[in-house]
Amino acid sequence: MQIDYRLERPLRIEARLSVAGFTVLAGASGEGKTSLLKAIAGLLPAEGEPYGGLPPQDRPVGYLPQGFALFPHLSAWENVAFPLARRSGRRERALGLMARLGIAGLAERSPDALSGGQQQRVALARALARGPELLLLDEPTSALDPATRDAVLGELIEEIRRIGLPTLVVTHDVHLAAMADRMALMVGRQIVQEGTPREVFAAPVDERAARLLGYRNLFFGLLQAIVDGLATVALDGLRLTAPAPSWGVPGMRVGIAIRSEDIALAPGGTTEAGAAAPPRMNVVMLNVTAVREEGLALRLSAYGSVALDILLPRGADGSDLSAGARVLAWVRPEHVHLFRAAG
Amino acid sequence: MPLLGLGALIFLIAPFAALAFVTDWVGFHFVPGDFSAAFVSVAYSLVAMPIIAALGTPLAWWLARRDFPGKLVVDALLLLPLLAPPLALGILLASLYGPYSAAGVLLGRVGVVLTNTAAAFVLAQVYGAMPYYVLAARAAFEAVPRELEEIALTLGKERWQVFLAVSLPMARLGVAAGLALAWVRALGEFGIVLIVAYFPHGIPVKLWVNLEDSGLAAVYPLLWLFLIVAMPLPLWLGIVSRRRGLM
Repeated sequence: MQIDYRLERPLRIEARLSVAGFTVLAGASGEGKTSLLKAIAGLLPAEGEPYGGLPPQDRPVGYLPQGFALFPHLSAWENVAFPLARRSGRRERALGLMARLGIAGLAERSPDALSGGQQQRVALARALARGPELLLLDEPTSALDPATRDAVLGELIEEIRRIGLPTLVVTHDVHLAAMADRMALMVGRQIVQEGTPREVFAAPVDERAARLLGYRNLFFGLLQAIVDGLATVALDGLRLTAPAPSWGVPGMRVGIAIRSEDIALAPGGTTEAGAAAPPRMNVVMLNVTAVREEGLALRLSAYGSVALDILLPRGADGSDLSAGARVLAWVRPEHVHLFRAAG
Repeated sequence: MPLLGLGALIFLIAPFAALAFVTDWVGFHFVPGDFSAAFVSVAYSLVAMPIIAALGTPLAWWLARRDFPGKLVVDALLLLPLLAPPLALGILLASLYGPYSAAGVLLGRVGVVLTNTAAAFVLAQVYGAMPYYVLAARAAFEAVPRELEEIALTLGKERWQVFLAVSLPMARLGVAAGLALAWVRALGEFGIVLIVAYFPHGIPVKLWVNLEDSGLAAVYPLLWLFLIVAMPLPLWLGIVSRRRGLM
C-alpha cells in the first residue's frame, strides 16, 4: 500500500512511503511521526492518499495510539466489541477475536487491571473488530515493561504477520525497525530512505540517516580511486577501503559510516603480542582514552589519526583493556559504508 | 487536615441539628397549602430537570470541546446569571417575558402566559438552576481525554454515538453532580420565583408565606417536608453515577 501524505499543521510534514507487511517508520522525537499517523487516521487535517478527505469514522484504519487508549469505563471485551453494531452475537464476535489473540481469559477485566502487553492486545483486537485495511501503531514499545518488551513485541509482530494486514509502525527505536519487513527513515520531516532493514542499515543515505541508524563513527573524506569494486578513501592521513558505491566517482567528497560493533582489535596489535599477523587494510593505531562497561560488552573511546567509538563483545580480543593502552583497530572493508556528502 | 474537615462538616450541618431541637415535635402540624406547595415544587422541578438537561448538556459540551474566537466573552456572559442576585434576575425575567413586554405579547397570542403560571414557575426554575448544571457538566466533559473520543471515531462511530458511548459515560460523575446541584437549585429557587411566579406557591415561597402569616411554628414542619422530598434524587444520582458501566 502506497502512503502519500502532506500536513501543514501542527507541523509541516511530507511523507511518501510504501507499507507492506510490518513496516517501521523510524525517526527522532519531534519529527512529527505521531502527527503523520493521526493524519492518516483522519484526526488531523491533511491532504493525501489513501482516504484523503474522509472523516475518521469512514476510514478503514485501525489506529493504536501510544498508551493504547482503552476505554476505562468498559471491560476488556466491551472495548473489543466497541466498533461492532449493537445486535446479537456482538459478545461472541468480540470473544472470538480475543481468543485469536490469546486473551480470551481477560474478557471481564477492567483495562486498568491489565499489563501493558495485555492492553496492547486488547487494543489490537478492538482495532481488528473495526475491519481495517491498514493498521497504524504509534510507539508500540513505549508502554511495555522493559523486561518483557522484546518477547511481547516479537509475538505482536508474529500476530500481525499472521493476520496479514499492512501495518505502519512509527517509532524512535531503531531496534524495532530491525525486526520489520520494511522500514523507512524520517529526517527533517521527510522520508529520506526506505527499503528492507538489511538494505537500509547497510547503506545509510546521509549523515543524519546514519546517526538515526545507530552509527557512531561518521567521517568525511576524499574518494581517491575505485579498483575492482573497492573504493579507497583518504581522511586525515588514513586510508580506508570500502565497497565502491554505484554513484561513486574518484575525486568526490564522501561520508564514511562505521558501526562501533564492527570494529575489532587486531590480533597482535594489542600491548600483548598475539600469534596471528595483523590484517593489511583498514588498520589504525590508536590510544585508548576511556573504557566503559556496557552490559556484558565493553565500549572504548580511542584516539589516533581518527577518533573511534568501539564496542567489543564479551570475550573479544582486548576486552581486558584499560585507558591509556595502545591498540591496533581494524574494520572489514564490507563494514565501511560510504554515503554522499551533503553539498 | 481531618480536624479542619470535621470542623467544616459540623459547621455545615449544625443548623439542621438545631432544627431537630427547635421543632415542636409534640404539636407538629402542617398548615393548609403545605402539601400542595410540596406537590408544586416537586412536580414542576421534575418538569424543569429534563429541560435543563436537554438545553444545558449541548451548551456544556460545546463550551468544553470547541474553541472559537470570543469564547472568553461567552464565558464571562455565562457568569451573569450566576452573579446577579436572584431577585434581580426575577425582575429581569419579568420585564423580558411579562405581559407588557414584546415577548410577553407574542407568547400571549399563542396562549403562553409567563407570570404567575405553571409555565412561569418552570421558567424561573430552569433559569435559576441551569447555569449550575452547565458549569458542572462542562468541567466534567473537559476532563474526558480527547484521545478517547478520537479513538472512538477511528473505530467507526459517528460523533453523536461517541458522545453517548464515551463522553457522557466518562463524564457521568460530574454530570450527575451537576444534575443534583440543578435539582437542589430548582427546588430551592426563591428570589426569581417570588417575582415571576408568586403563585402557584412552591415550598420556598410557602415558607415565606407561613413565616409571615403563622410564625416559626408553621415554618419548621414545612422545612422537614422540603428535606424529605428534596433529598432522594441527589442521593440516588450519587449512588448510580459511582457504579461502573452506567451506559
